[in-house]
Amino acid sequence: MKFAGELDLGRMHRERRARLVDAMRAQGVDALLLLGQQNVAYATGVKVPAAEQGRALHRRPVALLTADGEEPCVWTWEPGGVPATLARSRVNGGVDLEWDDGAGSVAGELPEGVVAVDELTMPLAAAARAAGRVLADAGGVLTAAKVCKTADEIECLRRAQAINEAAMVDVQAMLAPGVRATDLTAVFYERIFELGISSNTVDPIWQVMPRSIADGPYSATGDVVFPTPTTPRVLERGDVVFVDTGIAYEGYQSDFGHTWVVGEEPDARRRDQAARWRALVSAVVERIKPGATARDLTRVAEEVEGGRRRPWLAHLYLAHGTGTDSAEMPFVGTDLGDAFDAGLVLEAGMVLVLEPVIWDDGHGGFRAEEIVAVTEGGAEILTRLDWTGYA
Amino acid sequence: MREHLARTLAAMSDADVDVLLLGRSPNVRYVSGANQLALAGTRPFAPACVVVLGTGAVHLLATTDDGVPPDIPNDHLFPTSWNPATIVGHVASVPGVTGARRIGVDGMTPLMDGLLRGALGGAEWVDGESLLRGVRRVKSEADLVGLRAALAVAHDALGAVRDALRPGAAEVTLKAAFERRMAERGVTTPSVEGQFNSVFPGDGALAKGELVPVRAGVVADGWEGTVATTFVCADPPRERTARLDDVLARCRAGATVGDLRNAADGVTVDGVGLGHEELADGDVLEPAMTLTIERSAADVLSGVTVVVTADGYEPL
Repeated sequence: MKFAGELDLGRMHRERRARLVDAMRAQGVDALLLLGQQNVAYATGVKVPAAEQGRALHRRPVALLTADGEEPCVWTWEPGGVPATLARSRVNGGVDLEWDDGAGSVAGELPEGVVAVDELTMPLAAAARAAGRVLADAGGVLTAAKVCKTADEIECLRRAQAINEAAMVDVQAMLAPGVRATDLTAVFYERIFELGISSNTVDPIWQVMPRSIADGPYSATGDVVFPTPTTPRVLERGDVVFVDTGIAYEGYQSDFGHTWVVGEEPDARRRDQAARWRALVSAVVERIKPGATARDLTRVAEEVEGGRRRPWLAHLYLAHGTGTDSAEMPFVGTDLGDAFDAGLVLEAGMVLVLEPVIWDDGHGGFRAEEIVAVTEGGAEILTRLDWTGYA
Repeated sequence: MREHLARTLAAMSDADVDVLLLGRSPNVRYVSGANQLALAGTRPFAPACVVVLGTGAVHLLATTDDGVPPDIPNDHLFPTSWNPATIVGHVASVPGVTGARRIGVDGMTPLMDGLLRGALGGAEWVDGESLLRGVRRVKSEADLVGLRAALAVAHDALGAVRDALRPGAAEVTLKAAFERRMAERGVTTPSVEGQFNSVFPGDGALAKGELVPVRAGVVADGWEGTVATTFVCADPPRERTARLDDVLARCRAGATVGDLRNAADGVTVDGVGLGHEELADGDVLEPAMTLTIERSAADVLSGVTVVVTADGYEPL
């Protein structure tokens, strides 16, 4: 695919690292040890092939950054995934932190001072303890650096979303009674890889929704159950399908959400729900600008739907961020509560995925996702949802 | 999956572990049998499954019973939360957790470490990953059925790669063909976004006569089937194989993993089951362990998945 926007990956890698170093200095962290695949990619640009969790854990890359701004030290099993921007002299072979020797070799590299880490294996925790180190949590540094995106990061998100949407055109074209949900995945996979996507990150969801929550499956929260794993279920005429997929472009996660009706045009109820969803999202987007709080957004969403149930899933959120993680800060409308939301102030460069759900129990519902970047002047919508049939 | 839980409880008893808090999806799937939404890559630790030796009960982080086996009752499900303290509160409320002397965990974060120690006082924390690693190695007949089914899908998808391969084809076309066929077989989760000539496939054209190594796999009902071979780019393509007989000749119960790895140049040996299983050189092969054995020699990659037997192996 051809893209109009400018993208400079070298600049993106430099700017991300500078943000991490700034955050480390601001929070008094001398060194940052990263084990999370997405965090390592953010800090260093090092890529590894997407894999099921067992392989991903044992073949993960590891990065060590210091607040003096020196080149990061990296351990990786995939030399082909090391970007040209990284000094080769600082790249080591892969290390497995599930064993004492691998954990010991990384612990031995930790400098003096405050070392923050994003996650631990038990052997690494033991090795750090043996070396006399107390490891702090890296969450604060990572969030401070990652929560606002650079122009290049937002361009990666635009491209990921554009490819995801392009693939969906072909998927939706084959939506018909008799097609299995997994057949939709087949076409989706074929298209995203042809279009140059390196990895799919979440098992694509095509969930046939019930009319009532009581129709099941069992809900531990009493709210709509979503998402559930895809099965080779045969789609039938009139099925209402909540679609949710995510792919990565240079590590940046798209998020496509929509509601499709199988084999027929959406009926009046469905069109009404879609119209309410769009009105709600418009009202929320209207409020998005630097200085607004997450609570401002949840309040307007509640008002638009007239104080009935909060128009999003209770166990999820009205909105989440996206970046190198498919759901990252800022979170809006979670069970962290209104006080948390009131303290979360929007800044330019934050990206929000709005995913309200309009649900009329007994008549099903509508869900889609709109991705919005906070800009100096307000908001830029990154999604181009197709409303054919809903107009 | 009752058998998996029984093996886990027996290992907990042997290792004097009262409670397991598991966050890694293959471990959670092994002990609970639950099929939950698959996400690629590593995820930071949070307890998603609680196993209590004293009661034999499994509690699961889940907002629904969809994909949860019926032997886990709904009152053993605890809903997800964005507040780690809420999750720790749910964990601590599981009967038998508070007061446990030794607790195994398969990962940690400094934040979660502080919360768990605060809630669960004087417990000793031990490595649950190594405990599960031992438990998961030896397979039952039902496990082997799952592995064979996954491999059948992977082999079929490899056939689609062969069909798509001709001079001028792009690497990404091969990847697209593999993943499409996999999903047409009803399986939507790759084990690894594989090697199709390159580890990070591009859109350059493959040349006639070029050796094209392919390594790709699927996760079907949790079980991994990964295949590796090499095609010669031609129309139709031919398959080339690296010799594995020196390695396989040493494959039997009692041999060490290192014996196999050192049998020839370019050999890798990994365990396989509900995804990748890590093996150390010193690990001794036991009957019913399952291995993926690969060799890359002179630009030719080949692989096979076997189950270890008392006097040899059987290909899966």
